[in-house]
Amino acid sequence: MVIRERLAVTVGGYGALALLTCAVAPLVGSTPISFSRVFDRSIPFADNVDAQIFFIARMPRVLAGAVVGAALASAGVVLQALLRNPLATPFTLGVSAGAALGAVLAIAMGAAATLGPLSPVPLASLAGACVAAAIVYGLATRPGRPISTSVLLLAGVTLNSFFSALILFAQYMADFAETYRTVRWLMGDLDVGSFGAVGATLPLLMGAFAIFALLPSSLNLMSVGTDVAATRGVDVGRAQRLAFLGTSLAAGAAVALAGPIGFVGIVVPHLVRLMVGVDHRIVLPASALFGAAFLVACDLVARTVIAPIELPVGIVTALLGGPFFLWLLVRRS
Amino acid sequence: MVAGQKKLVAVALVMLCGASLVRLVHAQAPAPARRIVSLVPALTEMLFAIGAGPQVVAVSSYDDFPAEVKKLPRVGALLDPDLERILALRPDLVVTYGSQTVLEAQFARTGIRAFSYRHGGIDTALQTLRDLGMATGQSAGAGRTIRDIRSQLDGVRARVKGRPRPKTLLVFERQPRTLQGLYVSGGAGFLNEMLTIAGADNVFADVARESVQPSHETLLTRAPELIVEVRATGLLAPAEAREEQGTWSALASIPAVQNGRVHFLNADYLVVPGPRLGLATEALARVIHPDAYK
Amino acid sequence: MALTVTHLDFSYSAFALSDVSVSVQRGSLTGLLGPNGCGKTTLLKLLSGVLRPRHGEIALDGRPIAGIPRRALARRLAVVPQETHPAFDYSVMEMVLMGRHPHLGAFQLEGPADLAVARDALDATGTLHLAERPYMTLSGGEKQRVIIAAALTQSPDVLLLDEPTASLDLGYQLEVAALLARLNRERAVTMVLATHDLNLAASLCDTLVLLRDGRVLLQGPTRDVLTGAAIKQLYNVDADVEFHQRAGHLTVVPVRRA
Repeated sequence: MVIRERLAVTVGGYGALALLTCAVAPLVGSTPISFSRVFDRSIPFADNVDAQIFFIARMPRVLAGAVVGAALASAGVVLQALLRNPLATPFTLGVSAGAALGAVLAIAMGAAATLGPLSPVPLASLAGACVAAAIVYGLATRPGRPISTSVLLLAGVTLNSFFSALILFAQYMADFAETYRTVRWLMGDLDVGSFGAVGATLPLLMGAFAIFALLPSSLNLMSVGTDVAATRGVDVGRAQRLAFLGTSLAAGAAVALAGPIGFVGIVVPHLVRLMVGVDHRIVLPASALFGAAFLVACDLVARTVIAPIELPVGIVTALLGGPFFLWLLVRRS
Repeated sequence: MVAGQKKLVAVALVMLCGASLVRLVHAQAPAPARRIVSLVPALTEMLFAIGAGPQVVAVSSYDDFPAEVKKLPRVGALLDPDLERILALRPDLVVTYGSQTVLEAQFARTGIRAFSYRHGGIDTALQTLRDLGMATGQSAGAGRTIRDIRSQLDGVRARVKGRPRPKTLLVFERQPRTLQGLYVSGGAGFLNEMLTIAGADNVFADVARESVQPSHETLLTRAPELIVEVRATGLLAPAEAREEQGTWSALASIPAVQNGRVHFLNADYLVVPGPRLGLATEALARVIHPDAYK
Repeated sequence: MALTVTHLDFSYSAFALSDVSVSVQRGSLTGLLGPNGCGKTTLLKLLSGVLRPRHGEIALDGRPIAGIPRRALARRLAVVPQETHPAFDYSVMEMVLMGRHPHLGAFQLEGPADLAVARDALDATGTLHLAERPYMTLSGGEKQRVIIAAALTQSPDVLLLDEPTASLDLGYQLEVAALLARLNRERAVTMVLATHDLNLAASLCDTLVLLRDGRVLLQGPTRDVLTGAAIKQLYNVDADVEFHQRAGHLTVVPVRRA
């Protein structure tokens, strides 16, 4: 099949999957709700428990899951191409460590400042993500020259270690309650409770997706070799900077909204490549759509499997991700 | 040496046996602790409550009640007990957390007694008071403290008897301005026991855990009639209290929110199973059944 | 004149090209020769625009390449690198179609015309039957030919090659050499190749540029430039250069270190 057809079929198929998952998920949960009651206008909203569950508890959660899943999966694809390493994750370059440090400090200091619908901890973690991205960018770039991906990787890994040490220190100095809260935040939580929180991070995520839309062809060429890509008309320096900016926005906003949810950014790109090949012009949109469906499905499992206890969604993605990697390794050897 | 000498030997033998018997008995019952180091704030409180305060020589980094502990040296806590400082104080009893097994082993080698704290419900707390009383020679004081707590609890029971028991959500941990990451009391543990005595039913009574982390959906489904948030520190200014009440108003279908029955309690004794748990239970009861305390 | 280099200066931290001036005739097969570290690869990178010189100018058909936009340059000049290690498992056709990038708009996908160019290039390099195979499963010679095909799909006027036969066995060496000669003849593609292989240069190139320590030693037609004296100056090696009747070109036989 020609690429045009393949792209149409893939986007259509994965798009349908994502839409279906997002349509079904709010209807399913630990409490049975009646669809007709949800949309019954005669009952005032403040009294309509079914409607409140649907619109306050479940819909924002599904929406958050969809955008975070799409953001993490596409950021994973772009970083794997940028770093020419199939093991890269959206958190490899230190963004999530920065976000985690921001969150930990906010919890430890009992921060109460808010910005619109963003409560203190998401706000602080966004700030932390920005700081981390800025540091890594500053270390790895020289004006006018392409980014050295090995320096980028080293800077990110170093920052991860350093910030993790700071987080451990902050946890050690904090009291039980704060440590508990930090650990809980680090497991990820899609239960945002309002459309406002999703709305606040949406501009950042849309910005990231807009940047990603410019990149797939360049990513193909750069992943074969950056010098050759330049001789084929790719502005390598610009593409690298855009890739870095886009992934920092996507990962930072995702972590600010829902905490660091692992494995989505690495499992989804690999699964998608197994199904559609390696052309980034197809892998990138497919991963975004599949990532949305994947995370919404994982969250559905997390909130129903041992109800009324809810599993943190990061645990479900990890439980799926670990065996997946083992299988990948076995397959390779 | 005939009859007279035999008698002497017999008496000497009896006296020797008797003396060793007495020494044996004394070895089985250890001497009351004279120099106590406490790493657990709840038990420090208990020690002072039963009258063993003068025997306490050092406390943990987190101790702040009663006022006397402010003058005492600090020796660390759960994660960072300072073994050298503790040993330098030459204690004969150290109150430790149950998980500090390595520390307890070290004390065993130096002949220092370790009193291991077990976390549990009200009965466990009362038993701990009794055990501390025996270990410190303050059994009388312990008995008094236990009787005081029991009578406080009985008093509360009497006041709330026969009154309707509201379905209550007891929140003990929450981040500011958001309902994400809530920790509430489940159907087990001392918070739940205090709530029950104070005349309310826990909305999570069917979940046999000490702490539950409910999602928005679970809160909406369980629909508590009363919400009580207990905090150890940080008295809320009126403006802050209004903001936090506003945070709850997002879940407008909850009866507690609709009827304005969301309360905030601040006091350090509320979340610690110590000698003031009777006071804590009464504080809860005053909020749950205000008309019983007019 | 296809490519002209005028008084070029460039330096890395430990190495420099000084006052290099080269002219490459349209349609010629020019070889860049010299010992390790003489600057062959660096000069190729400068010619392709990947690196920028400190002083001096490089012009393509009279126009300085610094002023030619990247994509426009890529439509006229293609590079065959020494080694290609793709990070992902692309198929041969996917690798070759990447050469069409400079001919496509920002969000444009390849159409039937682009596919035709790609197939034609694969055919020219004798690799059409490998189109659907994963690139990484090919042999060394097949890979090299696919990379040449990828460069051809750029429809370039000028082809720059860096050690095109370095990792190939004797059979593939001759095969690739014959391929390049044919392409040069049939498609009038100007070629500049950097190579170690004196016999390859002798058999393939009509013009040679000898480089040593970042400077041009000698340049001109092969038969004039490739002499025993030149080789001694370049490599400190005593060698015999003779016209081989059966092969039909000059051959170089190294005898001993000078």
